[in-house]
Amino acid sequence: MTSKINHHQKINGQIFPQPCPHLADFRARSGSKPFWALHDCLRVKPPGGRAAIRRDPSEVPRCVTCGDASRPRIYACMACATVSCHAPPQSSHAAAHAASPACSRLDHEIAVDVDRAELFCCVCGDQVYDRDFDAAVVLAHTSGSLQPMKPENLRKRRRIDYRPWTPDLRERTVMVNNASPIDGTSTSSDDLPLGLRGLNNLGNTCFMNSVLQALFHTPPLRNYFLSDRHNRHQCQSKNGVRLCLACDMDAMFSAVFSGDRTPYSPAKFLYSWWQHAANLASYEQQDAHEFFISMLDGIHEKVEKDHRKPHNQGSGDCCIAHRVFSGILRSDVMCMACGFTSTTYDPCVDFSLDLEPNQGSSMKTGSTKLSHSCNGEADKMKSSQNCGISTLMGCLDRFTRPERLGSDQKFFCQQCQIMQESLKQMSIRKLPLVSCFHIKRFEHSSARKMSRKVDRYLHFPFSLDMAPYLSSSILRSRFGNRIFPFDGDEPDTLDDLSSEFELFAVVTHTGKLDAGHYVTYLRLSNQWYKCDDAWISQVNENVVRAAQGYMMFYVQKMLYYKASENQVAS
Amino acid sequence: MSHKRSSINRPPTPDVDKDRDNQEPTLQEIINIKLIESGEKERLKELLRERLIECGWRDEMKALCRAYTRKKGRSNVTVDDLVHVITPKGRASVPDSVKAELLQRIRSFLGSATT
Repeated sequence: MTSKINHHQKINGQIFPQPCPHLADFRARSGSKPFWALHDCLRVKPPGGRAAIRRDPSEVPRCVTCGDASRPRIYACMACATVSCHAPPQSSHAAAHAASPACSRLDHEIAVDVDRAELFCCVCGDQVYDRDFDAAVVLAHTSGSLQPMKPENLRKRRRIDYRPWTPDLRERTVMVNNASPIDGTSTSSDDLPLGLRGLNNLGNTCFMNSVLQALFHTPPLRNYFLSDRHNRHQCQSKNGVRLCLACDMDAMFSAVFSGDRTPYSPAKFLYSWWQHAANLASYEQQDAHEFFISMLDGIHEKVEKDHRKPHNQGSGDCCIAHRVFSGILRSDVMCMACGFTSTTYDPCVDFSLDLEPNQGSSMKTGSTKLSHSCNGEADKMKSSQNCGISTLMGCLDRFTRPERLGSDQKFFCQQCQIMQESLKQMSIRKLPLVSCFHIKRFEHSSARKMSRKVDRYLHFPFSLDMAPYLSSSILRSRFGNRIFPFDGDEPDTLDDLSSEFELFAVVTHTGKLDAGHYVTYLRLSNQWYKCDDAWISQVNENVVRAAQGYMMFYVQKMLYYKASENQVAS
Repeated sequence: MSHKRSSINRPPTPDVDKDRDNQEPTLQEIINIKLIESGEKERLKELLRERLIECGWRDEMKALCRAYTRKKGRSNVTVDDLVHVITPKGRASVPDSVKAELLQRIRSFLGSATT
């Protein structure tokens, strides 16, 4: 039976905790049947609630030894259903039950927490995990769902091993012969990192300049263009001279990283973009976010035309714009009447977040300690509630919070076959390499028929952990601690490394709705620079912290090189 | 007290508590059962959970658990160890305002249940 146990360790590339010897024995002797037998006792309290174990819906579980029903930890033996309390080291009737001479050889070590529906080994005194048990619990949660679970589908994962590449002699000669090294002396002239070049304002084009500056220093995008992955000469000789935003990007990257510090005029690009987005072609002020979306779209569209292959946008393998920026959002809509959940996945290139409303008014008076640790995302939330300052984490929290759709927004439930009140929850299924957060500072009130700008300060961290907003985390808080990969959710989203992000660009807006100015702050080699159209200057990070962020660009930490001084020269 | 081998796979069936039937339940027990039966306990739990998250108590506990696990080595820690070490600290650091709110809720529940 060891094969069964080994099978447990690594499924779908996810490493599961090794079962304790008692659980392994239990499984070896009884198989998974007891877990499935428990299915009838699993009760999930009204839609969205937790799973609990009750033989009868109204049962009040009490310890058979001491008769106490108010103990915090009550377990039911998996072998004989004896209910015992567990409060070590004072008393543990559960451990006593497992060790009693009559039981000791009959697998009474494994018990289930009646209130949490989680497995526990009374001998080890530790939580244990079993795939079949967790599958049974998740099934109880989703029972009656029209979509049956298909765990088999999840197995098809392919992962390619990383192979380091060192150029051989021939490749090295090719590189040396075809490369024109950037003048190394240019960096010493003004001590600015390479690639920092002012952009001339071509007539209210600060919305474009601000976004372009951020894009020039988006690590994966920069690496793509600087490594000649989209060569404009090749593209044009192949496809003829025609509208191609990626070609213009390539030209701009060459110009910006050429070492020349005199402000550059992105006129050619502006013209191309005007052709792409004719409705926005004017010398009027535009929204930076709108421009960002429109230009990513432009790069994408062009590639789409080239390949004529339908691509799944969320998978990000269609074009460089989506490879860098696109993630997948998961949205669950749960019927409040029957608990049926319908899940949809949508690709996205950024996260548009609402500013928290009525900050300050809901201040909590709890005796909370304000901690200022940098990486505790929750600490910030806490402090936000205390000082009434909106934070990016607070916004993300609102974004992923279950939201009860009102009676005016009823949703058609596939199971009830009628419109029902429902609960909606968003989460992030797949994180993009670069997360762009767009703060909805421009409010449109349809009631008053007017728009206004919200000037409220928003705190944003330099390092951000996205783990709490991932579907896997959201589902874990919904289903409890399980090792079952839920409902089509791939376990690789659990990867700790890829959920950590570093801030590298902030686009700020000052002024009013109809007239204002965009300025970008860039973080290069852990130093901040202000890019105000043609002017570049070094600034203190406190200036950035105090700025009114409109778009924040974060890159996955593993792609951010804090220490790399000359990303290009090296 | 003899257990048959075949009993292992049977689904759990209710045990009959013969001893319990002739014992008078204490007041605390009666309240507890009332709370459970009415579903109020579940609502209270949900409220408490929410309040403890809001005030940062949960994150504090999480940090304590992490620190302890790091100190002991991640494979040398059991849930029981954690519960044993963290419980006293956890009980001590529940904000008074949260306790007061819960108490108020229980009071008003009892008030409405007795009338």
